[in-house]
Amino acid sequence: MPALSLQHISKVYENLRAVDDISFEIEEGRMFGLLGPNGAGKTTTMRMIMNIIIPDQGKIELFGEPFTEGHKRQIGYLPEERGLYPKMKILDHLTFLGEMKGMSGRAARDNAREWLARFDLADRANRLVNELSKGLQQKIQFIGTILHRPRLLILDEPFSGLDPVNVKFLKDILLEMRREGCTIILSTHLMEQAEKLCEQICLFNRGKIVLEGDLGEIRRRHGHNRVLLSYNGNGDQLANLSMIAEKNDYGNYVEIHLHDNATPEDLFRALAQTDLTISRFEASETSLNDIFIELVEGLPHA
Amino acid sequence: MHKIWKLIKREVMTKLLTRGFLIGTLLGPILISGFYFLPAYFATVGGDSPSVVRLVDGSGLIAPQVESLFGDTLDNGQRQFIITPLSEADYRANPDFPGEEIEAGKTDIALIIPENLLAGGQITYLAESISNGGLIRLIRSRIQQAVNLRRMEDAGLDPGQVASLTLPISMKTLRVTKGETEESSMSTAFPTAFIFLMLLYMTILLYGAQVLRGVVEEKTSRILEVLLSSTNSFQLMMGKLFGVGALGLIQYVAWIVLAWGGIFLLGNTTPEVLKNVHLSPEIFVYFVIFFLLGYFQFSALYAAVGAMCTSQDDAQALSGPVTILVVLPFIISISLGMNNPDADLAKTFSMLPFFAPMMMFLRIELSNPALWEIGLAIAINLVAIVAIVWLAARIYRVGVLIYGKRPTFREILKWIRYA
Repeated sequence: MPALSLQHISKVYENLRAVDDISFEIEEGRMFGLLGPNGAGKTTTMRMIMNIIIPDQGKIELFGEPFTEGHKRQIGYLPEERGLYPKMKILDHLTFLGEMKGMSGRAARDNAREWLARFDLADRANRLVNELSKGLQQKIQFIGTILHRPRLLILDEPFSGLDPVNVKFLKDILLEMRREGCTIILSTHLMEQAEKLCEQICLFNRGKIVLEGDLGEIRRRHGHNRVLLSYNGNGDQLANLSMIAEKNDYGNYVEIHLHDNATPEDLFRALAQTDLTISRFEASETSLNDIFIELVEGLPHA
Repeated sequence: MHKIWKLIKREVMTKLLTRGFLIGTLLGPILISGFYFLPAYFATVGGDSPSVVRLVDGSGLIAPQVESLFGDTLDNGQRQFIITPLSEADYRANPDFPGEEIEAGKTDIALIIPENLLAGGQITYLAESISNGGLIRLIRSRIQQAVNLRRMEDAGLDPGQVASLTLPISMKTLRVTKGETEESSMSTAFPTAFIFLMLLYMTILLYGAQVLRGVVEEKTSRILEVLLSSTNSFQLMMGKLFGVGALGLIQYVAWIVLAWGGIFLLGNTTPEVLKNVHLSPEIFVYFVIFFLLGYFQFSALYAAVGAMCTSQDDAQALSGPVTILVVLPFIISISLGMNNPDADLAKTFSMLPFFAPMMMFLRIELSNPALWEIGLAIAINLVAIVAIVWLAARIYRVGVLIYGKRPTFREILKWIRYA
């Protein structure tokens, strides 16, 4: 039984098809990436899953049942625009958010304390929200999202605005929750992040699904010969190498696409003939970013 | 229902113990009583200091009786009038003298009484300010009284007869309420109605504005979308309306306790100010009913306006029409309802949504509308509340997720249709 299933969902605003006939399913316990540039329809889709926006067409099922208000207790939703009541005490605020998800006041308060301790914020429990920095507020918001132990977690750009230490911290918690069986939907416009975390992705562009499915499968289907190179020296020498179809040179770092009949080993040997100093040579699978750009540029513009 | 309850609890708990709420609860009734009583107080007493009067009595009638005619004392025990005579001869020698004295600030008032007072001669009243109607009326009536007595004696009546003939009448004003007569004069019904109408108007406006501010705050802090993942927009809006309304009721209960506590403690030594206010359980019941009727109509509209805004600036610009809908009934109630609560127009307004809460309340206080009239007004307004809340919920539902420029009227119509 899929945790979530969307069938032929559409939403039209005035003359904009925000979401255009999309369908996908997510198995329980998976980490699912919702990708695409800004304005592709990710947020609208997530709002429709939460029934905050009602789709014009199509059917949404959660845990095998049509959506009801009662399902909201099993979902945790972190909107892209974070929001908390600025004049409430942190512990009171978290308790309130837990209660709104149907928890008892006591359970919500206990859970909130536990999580605050884990986030190293226990000493701020009685501070007002607006006394905290934006980064800390974001952590509070995240605690509010997972406080009630949701079965389905929907996170809209969860990492934006966090420093690298906290990105790792958050990522570890997400992985832990997934191990415990939580299904996680992650929206991001940063492809690298999704690549590292997600098993399944759905790529949006202009309200339509461009690509959807298992990440490994997608890579195999759309993979190319690709080499990442860190070097010192005159990069112009690369232009003479015949096995390179295309390159994206940053000066000390270059992403290289090889011709279909060439192998990374051919490039390796050719590079040995130049006087470039190579500090890294990596034969790589095609990045999602490249796949996305290729697919989108291949499409006629609407 | 569970979630609405949690929303109400949050609203009340976060506002109840704030300084603003406590100050409002304590000062509200004092300020409003002040609005009514201060102007009246200053108009009748003219301040708390004695009036220094220079009297030129050409008739020789008034000067000998100054003690009995102008023996009033002020609240602080001082004499109200300090009168010093000026002989007619001196006055003729220097007619400008009283005016100069007033300009120099030595005298407040100069009264120049002509020789032919009894034959209808004109008295001159000189003062720096002649807007003090209460004082002028008082002086005028005292002199009139002296003149009347003398005329009757001159007509051959003996002083005993005169006394019995001029015995002041005594009148008490009774109001017919629910088939009984109740001893209450215009002087208590009027201030009571005014004060309660003022309270009604101010609390509706205040709490409506609080709903507006609350919704805009929830929008600008972006908490709404978080809450929408736990509940729906209708519950959110109703939670806000009930929550702020509950704060209003709590404030009223505090006021009632304060008022009755005050009466109980003061007992018979009720201060002059409170003697003119007529507090019955009935008035509180009607007050709460009409507050709730008015509050839900206006605050639902304020919630809808709040949902249209992206900032508090927007709120100021967009809430104008709703505020006019609160102010207009108040002005009409004050002007039409206070003067003639039983006019057909007043009766009509006392049925209409938006107008009824203030107008019907006023009519109940000042007149005696039939029970069916009160019932009908309440019923009409309940139906109106359902309609307004329905409409507001549709605007709210779409509005809370829309940020950016202010919506046009056409866009709002579209929201209502598509929500």
